[in-house]
Amino acid sequence: MDFRKLQSANKLKSTELLFGMALLVGVVIWALLTYFGKTGIGVVPFAVGIALLSVWGSYWTSDKIVLTMTGAKIVTEADNKQLYDLVSEVCIAAGLPTPKIAIVEDNAPNAFATGRNQDHAVIAFTTGILRVMDREELQGVTAHEMAHVANRDTLVSAIAATTAGALALLSDFMLRIMIFGGGNRRNNNNNDQNPLALIASLIVLILAPLAALLLRLAISRKREALADVTAVAFTRNPTGLRRALEVLAADNTVVHQKSTAVAHIWIESPLDGSKTSQLFSTHPPLATRIATLRAMEGNGSAQS
Amino acid sequence: MKAVVLIVALLLILALLAIMSRNRLVRANISVDEAFAQIEVQLKRRSDLIPNLVETVKGYASHESGTFEAVVAARAKATTATTVADVAAADGQLTQALRGLLAVTENYPDLKASTNFLALQEELSSTENKVSFARQFYNDNVRTLNAAIKTFPSSLFVKSAGVTSRPFYEVDDPQDRKAPQVKF
Repeated sequence: MDFRKLQSANKLKSTELLFGMALLVGVVIWALLTYFGKTGIGVVPFAVGIALLSVWGSYWTSDKIVLTMTGAKIVTEADNKQLYDLVSEVCIAAGLPTPKIAIVEDNAPNAFATGRNQDHAVIAFTTGILRVMDREELQGVTAHEMAHVANRDTLVSAIAATTAGALALLSDFMLRIMIFGGGNRRNNNNNDQNPLALIASLIVLILAPLAALLLRLAISRKREALADVTAVAFTRNPTGLRRALEVLAADNTVVHQKSTAVAHIWIESPLDGSKTSQLFSTHPPLATRIATLRAMEGNGSAQS
Repeated sequence: MKAVVLIVALLLILALLAIMSRNRLVRANISVDEAFAQIEVQLKRRSDLIPNLVETVKGYASHESGTFEAVVAARAKATTATTVADVAAADGQLTQALRGLLAVTENYPDLKASTNFLALQEELSSTENKVSFARQFYNDNVRTLNAAIKTFPSSLFVKSAGVTSRPFYEVDDPQDRKAPQVKF
């Protein structure tokens, strides 16, 4: 498989999913209008406003927040020359400025990148990953993380989170209004409404948060797959990242970073993958990612 | 009246598309320049390491003068090159000469154990990777620019944007076509 084709295919799919989310917003607004009439629209700005405030604050300061949440410490070139060299090499391949580099005290091998744009990017490694991986594997991991920075995945996930959050709030408001006396308003306004449309809009309002969550997770998985391919575009060496993912797959160190709040930013999902179904996971299964990288190794497309 | 609005809207869209395609060319051209500057920065870094490296190795292996001379000569040549082809050729020669020098050091365990040399080796191998990635990034940008020059609709604006297709940075060394070696 050619990484250039895979890259555009993954980009297209995640764009489609974002459009899917926009479509879902449209359907929910239709349901609101059908069920509550024009008065229902009044709550939309509230839901969107609350979602925007809660997500975009953390998006803007993501570099600082995540460092605090994970306890990552910024290191300089003098502290760890080899790591600094490694990251700046990949950044030259990616055409990105060298980000801040941080280390998290944790035995579990993992890494993440965050920050609202390439000038505010932070890349972090756990002490575990620095211990178990050789330079080629770490280069693959770094390339995956810098791919997130290059593809602006902090922005993509902030957009997905805002939309999902707004839909969840909307649906919650509406169902509450329905239960506590929304019935009267419906009787007054919508006597002439098609009962089927009313039932359909009710179902939409109930299911919208779940659909939004699933779309959000699907977007996260697509962006992970895209980051793997973009990483190969940077290093032209699928073997490094493939071997790194195999190390992660073989590893069963107990992860201390179990917080779901930051689960999506790590290279490997720190939550127990076996218990949650694929549909509810933020990352594609490691086996699938390894197989894709192997396919890229096979035909030598890794070379320019 | 409606037809007029429609035509104006259509013209606006076309103008917008034209501006976007032209900007795409200009931007791609700037990226190629920046990418080439990055190669030169990294080559300079490597060049600056060489006197120190040669001195260190000389202390342990003074009779390998042939290898030193090759490195010093290649370095001198690299500093005068300006065009992409010349820079690439000088770069290739220096890469070869350095590889020869590092191969020679294999025979001197005392040298390999010295902390000064170890630090130099890390610096040199990292710089080698940076040079190699800078070349790759340059070639990717040339590829994007050359594709934009040849494909419609941006191909219509090649003259007005004042861009020309650019040469790839080709180092005459079979080992460079492989993925860069990364080793501690």
